Amino acid sequence: MKKMLAMALVLMLTLTAAACAETFKMGFDAEYPPYTYMGDDGEYTGFDIEMCKKVCEKLGWELELVPINWDTKLMTLDMGEIDCIWSGLTIDVIDPEAYCLSTPYSDNSQMILTRADSGITTLSDLAGKKVAVQLGTSADLLLQGDQKALADTFDGGEAVKLPNYNDCFAQLEAGAVDAIAIDIGVAANKIAVYGDEYVMLDESIASEKYGICFRAEDTEMCKQVEDAYMELVQDGTYQALAEEFGLDVSALCLLETEGE
Amino acid sequence: MAKMSLGTMILKMSEGLGTTCGIFFLTLLFSLPLGLVVTLLRRSRLGVVRGITKVYISIMRGTPLMLQLMVVYYGPFYLSKWISKTFDVTFRLRWSGDVLVPIIIGFVLNYAAYFAEIYRSGIESIPAGQYEAAQVLGYSRPQTFLRIVLPQVVKRVLPSVTNEVITLVKDTSLAFTLGCMEMFTLGKSIANSQSKFTPFVIAGVFYYVFNALVAFVMARLERRLNYYR
Repeated sequence: MKKMLAMALVLMLTLTAAACAETFKMGFDAEYPPYTYMGDDGEYTGFDIEMCKKVCEKLGWELELVPINWDTKLMTLDMGEIDCIWSGLTIDVIDPEAYCLSTPYSDNSQMILTRADSGITTLSDLAGKKVAVQLGTSADLLLQGDQKALADTFDGGEAVKLPNYNDCFAQLEAGAVDAIAIDIGVAANKIAVYGDEYVMLDESIASEKYGICFRAEDTEMCKQVEDAYMELVQDGTYQALAEEFGLDVSALCLLETEGE
Repeated sequence: MAKMSLGTMILKMSEGLGTTCGIFFLTLLFSLPLGLVVTLLRRSRLGVVRGITKVYISIMRGTPLMLQLMVVYYGPFYLSKWISKTFDVTFRLRWSGDVLVPIIIGFVLNYAAYFAEIYRSGIESIPAGQYEAAQVLGYSRPQTFLRIVLPQVVKRVLPSVTNEVITLVKDTSLAFTLGCMEMFTLGKSIANSQSKFTPFVIAGVFYYVFNALVAFVMARLERRLNYYR
């Protein structure tokens, strides 16, 4: 019995070289609408997932959708559990030496979302207020880094960190926090759903970019995906999908590149 | 937006419930017997064995299960990476196949430690006089343990074991640490995309019914073991 267990363990813990499978494993956060989320039919969808499907179609790859724990995304990528992180990922905060990053495909401003009746209209109104962020997101890092001075004015001297956006919204709705620091796409999506209940401040707290992250040695894979992505930009799929998922078309930075 | 039907929600979360049940039953299957082994080692006459077992139990109880899952899963990979770097060789250890395997291993190692301590409390509650009486009657040490001590221990520890088993049902949601989409995680993603609280209510009902069943089965078992009275 013990021997069998030991053998099973050895089998599971195999020595493997670089993954060479035909399937393309897309790692994503299952709670990140409108980029990656569970659709009404219970299947994963979103702008990034639909774009990835099209890219794989072009390249003849089989796509495997792998929902991951966002807190350990880079470890999961290192281990080969997934081939890329493609889920509204802010690539500005990732070390380009350690990973292979694609050309950014979307602008992503960090915004403040608040209830329409909160009376908050400028960043300085946030003084003494409770502001929530999703743990480990770029808004979280930003408020500990470049925008630390702004976070210092919040109630408690820092942002309230919550495990996911849903918790942030629930607390905003319940009045436990006064505002959320959040990616513009997610904020716009929330406003689209709730209408007049929420507003975004005009001032952004930072401007960043979304891209796809691969392991450092997978430059070839990154190049193939980028090329296929550019074809989708040229044939209009990129813009059509962005409109379908309610993204701000002015944020689509690959369109500008095309215009030049 | 926000128009997933209640049926789809329940169906989707039921799929996750399969995974949740898998984690639950496999963990019990391996950790209940392993706990007994750990208890015996913990009571070994060899000081070294006792010492190592004590350290094991103290680590398992003293660190969060979430962290232990991460160590089981990512540990071999990062260790092999470090060894490769330090000794200038190239090899990588990583889990292949279902992520459920490292999850079960993590859960089993953790729960065996708790069960071991529950069993120990049961074993040590048996009065020394019974051992002496058994010796007088010519029972060997293993015979004494298997025929006299163990049947009483099983009865005595059952309520504490039930407690731990119920905790396990709720702990299964920690499997998402390694990206496993069990019932609660699926509920969270639905709640997120649909901006609704319903999935959490469904999750609560699922957990409650699951635990009511566990409590029912354990109560039956307690009645069945109603011997020596």
